[in-house]
Amino acid sequence: MTNQIASPDGPRAWTRDLDKPMARRSLLLAAAGALIGLGIAGYGLFTAQGTRTASVPAEDAALVNNVPVLRADLIAQTTALHGIPYAQASQAQRKAVLDGMIREELYVQRGIEMGLANDDIDVRQALVQATEGQIAQDAATAKPAEDELRHWYDTHRTQYASEGMMTLHEWLAPRGTDAARLVASLRAGATPASLGLRTTGRVDDGEEFYFAAEEHLGKPLFAIARTMADGAVSDPQPAPDGMHILQMVRNRRPVPTAYDAVRDQVLRDFIADKVARLQDGNNRFLRKRADIKIAADLK
Amino acid sequence: MTAPSSKAAPPRARRLLLILPLIALGTLAIAVAMSHGGKAAGVLRADPETILDDPALRETALKAGKEVFAQHCAACHGENGKGDTRIGASDLTDRDRLYGDGTVSQIEDIARYGIRAGNKRGWNLAVMPAYASPVPDKAEALPPQKPADIEALTQLLLSFTARATDEAAVARGRLVYSKAGCWDCHGRDLGGDPAIGAPNLTDDVWIYGGRADDIRRSISHGRAGTSPAFGRTLTPAQLRSVTVYVASLSRTEQDGK
Repeated sequence: MTNQIASPDGPRAWTRDLDKPMARRSLLLAAAGALIGLGIAGYGLFTAQGTRTASVPAEDAALVNNVPVLRADLIAQTTALHGIPYAQASQAQRKAVLDGMIREELYVQRGIEMGLANDDIDVRQALVQATEGQIAQDAATAKPAEDELRHWYDTHRTQYASEGMMTLHEWLAPRGTDAARLVASLRAGATPASLGLRTTGRVDDGEEFYFAAEEHLGKPLFAIARTMADGAVSDPQPAPDGMHILQMVRNRRPVPTAYDAVRDQVLRDFIADKVARLQDGNNRFLRKRADIKIAADLK
Repeated sequence: MTAPSSKAAPPRARRLLLILPLIALGTLAIAVAMSHGGKAAGVLRADPETILDDPALRETALKAGKEVFAQHCAACHGENGKGDTRIGASDLTDRDRLYGDGTVSQIEDIARYGIRAGNKRGWNLAVMPAYASPVPDKAEALPPQKPADIEALTQLLLSFTARATDEAAVARGRLVYSKAGCWDCHGRDLGGDPAIGAPNLTDDVWIYGGRADDIRRSISHGRAGTSPAFGRTLTPAQLRSVTVYVASLSRTEQDGK
C-alpha cells in the first residue's frame, strides 16, 4: 500500500494527490470528457429540429423519410374536412386524414425524384411563386422602424394625397355659333339654356373623382378641367362633334393626408417595396452564382 | 510521525466532498432540462384546444408564450394585445375574431402561415377594395364608386350604431351596398364572413377605427392588413406557446380572471 502511494504511477495514486499533475489521470479525464462530448453531440444530432431520426418529434404527427408532417396541419385538416373540433374527431377520422397527408408527402417526394420540377408546368409555376412568396414572408416578418415609415411617407407624400373631386358641366356649342362669344356670355353670368348650350352628358352625375372625370372627359379636357377654379368657364375646345366648353362648379383638389391616417397604407407600400427590392437582389444573386450558358446566336 | 489534524478530512472524504456536489449539480441540470423539454413536448402533443384547461400545460405555455409575444407580436398588437387601429392590428383581447372562430389551432395557423404574408397556406382570399380608385380590386371586377355613393355607404354603416346623420343617405347606402358588390364578402346581412376575414359591419368593433372619417377612408382606399408568417422564424414550441397565450388574452378579459 505504501509503495503504491509513493509511486506516482501507482494504480490509486492518481486519485489521491489531486493537486499534483499526473499523466494517467489527465488521460482518463480527457477520455471521459471526450465521451461526454460525444454523448452530447449524439443527442443533439438526433434531437435537433430537422435532423431527428430516432423518434417522431412532439410537434409532428409523422415523419415521412424524415420529412415532418406537422401535427398542427393534421389538426387543421381534420377540422376542415369533418367540420368538427379535433377533440371530437374519431381515431379513424384522424388516421384517415393522416394517411392522406402521408400519401401527399410520398407523392411530393416521388415527384421530386422524377424531376417533375423540370417537366410539369404547374409544378414549376408553383415553385416560382412559392420561392417569391418565401422572400415576401421574410420581408414581412421584420417590422420596420417608425422612422423608416416616416421617411417613406415624407418621400412619397403625393402618393398619400386624397383623390381630387370635381363637379362640372361640359357644354356643346351649337354648330355655326361663335363659341368665344358663348364663353364670354357664360362668364358674364348667362344661363346655358339661354345660349342654346346642351350638355354632352358625360359628366352629369354630380361630383366625381378625378380618375372618373378623366375617363369621362378624356385626357386633354381633363388636363384643362383640373386647373379650373370654382365657377370658371374654359375657352372653347375643338372636338370632332363641335366646340366643347367646360364650366366648373366645384373643384376639390387632392390634399395631403396626415401620416397617422395613412399609416397602414404606408406600411403596406413600404413592405411591398422591400419585397420588390429583395426579389430583385435574389434574382441577381441567383444569376451570379449560377452557371448560365447562352447559345451564341442568342447572346 | 505526526498524527493528522482532527479538523482535516481524510482524503477519501475530501474526494467525495468534491465529486458529489458536481454530480448532484449535473443531475439537477439534466433533470431540469428534461422536465422543461417534457413539459414543452406535452404542450406540443396536446390537443391545442385543451391546453388552457390543463393547469400544468397552461402554465408552461403561457410562461413561454408571453416571452414570444413580447418579442414578436407586441410591436403591432401592443404589449397588452389591445391592437392598433392605425395599422389594423386587431384587438386580441376581445372575442370578435376576424378570421375563423378563434380556436387555438386557427390562431396557430395564422401565426405560422400569416395573413397576406406570401404563404399560400395563409389567409389570402380577399382584400377590402379601394372604391375611390379606377380599379377597386385587382382580383375581381368591381365598379368604382362616386363620392356620394361612398358617403351613402358610410352613413349606412354608421346607422348600425345609431350615428348616421343623413337618413336619405342611409337608404341610398343600401342600394349602393348591393350595386358595389359589398355583399359578396360581407354578406347580405352585413354580418361578415370569418372564412375570408370580412368583418361584421353591424357591430361596434372596428379594425381601422369606427369614426366616420375612418370608415370613409376604408371604403375609399381599401384595406389589406397583413400578419407575418412566423413558420420559419419561430420553433413549433414557440408557435404553440404564443398561440395559447393569445387565446388566453380573450379568455382572461371575458372571464374576468
